[in-house]
Amino acid sequence: MKQRSLHRKALTFPLPERSKSLRERLLSVTEIGGRGHIGPALSILEIIDVVYRKVMNSTLIKNQSPMRDRFLLSKGHGCLGLYVVLEDLGLLANLDLDSYCRYESAFGGHPESTTVPVIEFSTGSLGHGLSVGVGMAKAAKMRNESWRVFVLLGDGELNEGSIWEAAAHASKHKLDNLTVIVDFNNMQASGQVNEVLDMDPLNEKWKAFGFETIEINGHDERVIEESLRKPSTSSTPRCVIAYTIKGKGIAQAENSSIWHHKAKISSEEIEVLRAELRK
Amino acid sequence: MRQVALKTVHELARRDSRVVFVGSDLGAGTLNEMKEELPNQFFMEGISEQHLIGFAAGLAKEGFIPYVNTIANFFTRRAFEQIAVDVALHDLPVRLLANGGGMVYAPLGPTHTAIEDLSLMSTIPKMRIFAPGDANEMRALIYISLSDPRPWYVRFGKGGEPIFSSEIQETPAAPKVFGHSKGEILILTTGILIHESLSAIEILRKENSLNVTVIHFPEFTDLSQSTWSKLYKEAGVVIVAEEHIPAGGLFSKVLRIAWQEKWDIKKLIHRSLPFRYLHNYGSQKDHLKAHGLDAIGLVECVRANRGL
Repeated sequence: MKQRSLHRKALTFPLPERSKSLRERLLSVTEIGGRGHIGPALSILEIIDVVYRKVMNSTLIKNQSPMRDRFLLSKGHGCLGLYVVLEDLGLLANLDLDSYCRYESAFGGHPESTTVPVIEFSTGSLGHGLSVGVGMAKAAKMRNESWRVFVLLGDGELNEGSIWEAAAHASKHKLDNLTVIVDFNNMQASGQVNEVLDMDPLNEKWKAFGFETIEINGHDERVIEESLRKPSTSSTPRCVIAYTIKGKGIAQAENSSIWHHKAKISSEEIEVLRAELRK
Repeated sequence: MRQVALKTVHELARRDSRVVFVGSDLGAGTLNEMKEELPNQFFMEGISEQHLIGFAAGLAKEGFIPYVNTIANFFTRRAFEQIAVDVALHDLPVRLLANGGGMVYAPLGPTHTAIEDLSLMSTIPKMRIFAPGDANEMRALIYISLSDPRPWYVRFGKGGEPIFSSEIQETPAAPKVFGHSKGEILILTTGILIHESLSAIEILRKENSLNVTVIHFPEFTDLSQSTWSKLYKEAGVVIVAEEHIPAGGLFSKVLRIAWQEKWDIKKLIHRSLPFRYLHNYGSQKDHLKAHGLDAIGLVECVRANRGL
């Protein structure tokens, strides 16, 4: 019930101007590359924006301080959302996002740390990011350092068995410096998550794996920030299940499998999306 | 070999706090001494190889040097993608210590034997691949691994192999030459087949008065052909002996080098394991014998080639 009500909230939640302007940039970048995972990027845009702008210290990130918090986009196909936030915060150094998906570009359809140094880890194949995040969070614990690790997972990505291997280990090592965020937009490439492979009851699953869980509307900056900043009350890792809308903010792309991934996107199509965004 | 490798990891961990050991579910008693002495550098993490590789990559990204140990296949088959993406794509110094290379686990059947591991690891850029032949070589290799920035895959033998290399080795990864300095027969090999090859040298010298040279490659990544090109060119026949399928193994590598260098490839022959699932059990020795890879098999291969 809570899930349905949060999804409804996410659907009707009015986006602030900043969110709209990031989306406009995302559409422009997509137009340059002529392809991209628009829907999966729009569902996580507010989450990434809040993580980088309000939760992690962006100066430490800019300076690549060893004490910076780490963010891993395990659902790497949402990278357009990451790119536009990093650009907006001036974290891309002199790299040109307007080259997106071109032969010589640092920015492809999945994020790469080798070409974009501010990105912590290259991802793309699903089910990898949480294990890497567990290793990083364990490293911080071993050195008694206070930085945190945030791993953003897709809901479809939870189909991967390796996620649950990693979850068990996060709990074993009492990684209260690790926060998993599940982008629960309820859509994967082939259709609704609960039809392709129902992972319900999701909240109970994470709890059973030893996580403290919080369920939120994943487009509301205030609750996103609150859920990520909330002090740890136990020595367990945290899982924030963020109910979101795939394609949020652009009616045609909302809850649409077509806009999960699209190649050969024309400028005319982008123009339609742009107009819908500003409706 | 495995005991020596793990003990060496323990020694390194004592000297360098960046060194950590990560095991899957390796049985009671594995590295107990390290577990007791350095509990913060010892992880026995359960049967979750995909996770273990990602976990090790995360630790390595933060400056640790993880030595991960499980059965060869559970690295190369099950966690191949994690090795390629999490470790090698990020060029991280994770060391994969692979139990049961080749037919060591013959009695456990084709789920546990590793006869294409060198081939699979060879498809991963940046990966350094090793197949030492005895405990001395193993120890020396693990020591030098500490300062190498690249990822490593190390194939283990069964253990208890005779010692053929010296205790102190300055360049343990370099090819080692045995037998006649200018043999009419040249045998190229890697891993534990060095022992069968050395026995074959003796038999052929005593019984057929043939001069045989053997080159053992502890490192499989690059075969440093400059050190043996002269021997190849001067030999009448070159035999590649490998406890591995022909595709992507030592034979493939030698053939490619010979073709690139425009050497005579007509004199090149190989003894490999067949490219099929092996449903026989028995021991590693039984399988080497069945596929002509024991000393007698290699001797017969030479004799047949020489019309003896």
